[in-house]
Amino acid sequence: MATGIAGSFWRRLRRNPGGVFGLLVLGLLVGTAALADWIAPYAPTRMGAGHRLTPPSLAHWFGTDEFGRDVLSRVIYGSRLTLLVGAIAVGISLVAGLAVGLTAAYCGGWTERLLMRASDVLFSFTETLIALACVAVLGPSLENAMLAVGLAGIPFYARTCYAAALVECGKPYFEALISAGAGHLRLITLHLLPNVLPTMSVVATLGLSGAVLAAAGLSFLGLGAQPPASEWGAMLSSARELINRAPWLMLFPGGAIALTVLGCNLLGDAIREAMDGRGRT
Amino acid sequence: MARFLAGRLLMGLLAILATTVAVTLLIHLVPGDPVQIMYAQSQGTTPEQLAEMRHMLGLDRPILEQWLRFVLHLLHGDLGVTIRGQQPVAQLILQRLPNTLALAAASMAIATAIGLPVGFAAAWWRGRWADTALMTVAIAGVSVPHFWLGLILMSVFAVQLEWLPVGGTGWAGLVLPAATLGLSNAAIVARMTRSAMIEVMSQDFVRTAYAKGLLRALVLRRHVLRAGLVPVVTMMAMQFAYMMGGAIVVENIFAWNGIGRLAIEAIFQRDYPVIQGFILVFATTVITVSILLDLLYAVLDPRIRVRG
Repeated sequence: MATGIAGSFWRRLRRNPGGVFGLLVLGLLVGTAALADWIAPYAPTRMGAGHRLTPPSLAHWFGTDEFGRDVLSRVIYGSRLTLLVGAIAVGISLVAGLAVGLTAAYCGGWTERLLMRASDVLFSFTETLIALACVAVLGPSLENAMLAVGLAGIPFYARTCYAAALVECGKPYFEALISAGAGHLRLITLHLLPNVLPTMSVVATLGLSGAVLAAAGLSFLGLGAQPPASEWGAMLSSARELINRAPWLMLFPGGAIALTVLGCNLLGDAIREAMDGRGRT
Repeated sequence: MARFLAGRLLMGLLAILATTVAVTLLIHLVPGDPVQIMYAQSQGTTPEQLAEMRHMLGLDRPILEQWLRFVLHLLHGDLGVTIRGQQPVAQLILQRLPNTLALAAASMAIATAIGLPVGFAAAWWRGRWADTALMTVAIAGVSVPHFWLGLILMSVFAVQLEWLPVGGTGWAGLVLPAATLGLSNAAIVARMTRSAMIEVMSQDFVRTAYAKGLLRALVLRRHVLRAGLVPVVTMMAMQFAYMMGGAIVVENIFAWNGIGRLAIEAIFQRDYPVIQGFILVFATTVITVSILLDLLYAVLDPRIRVRG
């Protein structure tokens, strides 16, 4: 039965062109990150790999920056930081969001009201403000940006998890388990958690795009990755200073962010549609 | 209606109060000594000066007292003074807030003017090639980072064509930032409008309208559009918050003199009174606008009024 559900899920996902495209983009990202040492033509921080600020050419497909570094190599290595930031930020949001959402739905009463009201308020302040506040406290750095983006995502993950868990808590099987005397820990970890994970996996896939965007935004503002890191947002930030003399510098890092985010969005949409089948038109 | 309104106002006030607590605690969460970090950039501060500053910021008092003082001062419109220059923070923020509000409002107007018709058109031609094409553009639009779009617009319209200024004040300076933020969010509005309209189209009263023999165009215009606009208006509250968040980044690209630019400068300079004031003003603005939009929602949808 389980393989049947999984099988039809994959069939539906494969039939969705957006989903296939999303998978390809994410595969490309992971492949680039894994093979960066082999496929990058130059070291990402090697100054004077070519002349300064040369437009795209055969020797430097994406041109060179103000230090003569090869932009293609920097974009390739940037995929590593993007994956790292995305995975860690989403990991933080997911784990904390699950903890808050499950606790609120399971405990009910004052715990529920307090946790969910707090999530609602924080959610309405937007992730940008929360992330900025975190960076303001911790100071600008890539690690702090990851943490900030992760923390900023918690309210959304908590709300979604709470809604999914609340549905489970009301089902007859769950009431049967309670009357059969199942313990709190058993109910939460063995029954609630596995049932909210499918929903949360969609949230995490869609959340990956948000996390990548937010982290790149922080780096763009100078609050995330610091030079000379090959981070796409930070590269865009230095490209802005050279917008008069080298307009091509901003094309490739920005395009890389847009492609990554598009891939995650399409894949997330496709997974959601494949899972409930309702969104199909 | 009165109860609905009172409940919303109470929640809003509680949220603002919670923000003051968070903002008071914020400075204590800084790893290390916040006073030392704030003055790390100015050389030659003696321990006596640091102690004096700590006293001036009230950091040597119990936290509860610090919070009470913060709230008390806030009620008098006092948010403290900046670390550098000793300017009143409240005045600094209020001077710049109109610029941010103007940017957010202009962006929202652009996003709505584009997103609403596009979303409605996609729902109208649902499943046809026009729908697919519009929604493909929309998801691509959602994926383009606004700071990248901003740079592209700046490069094309300000640097290459020289039609508009690269940045600055006044109406000409507002065009590019507002277009950046508005275009980015038009895609989101279009997606939300489409799903709201499709949701309404599947409801019983729409089927009834068809069943009594009304033309499709009439049903869509008279029933679907009116009912579908209600959820779209509620989403506007969230949209406004996004605009304010997006404005922080976009203001910094185009050197637009709003509170976002002020906040980023303050973060770099570790000017905590400014950061505290910014968070509080941002949060209060978002809460106020969301309450106002809830009111509009209640006016638009009689069902809410009756229930409330």
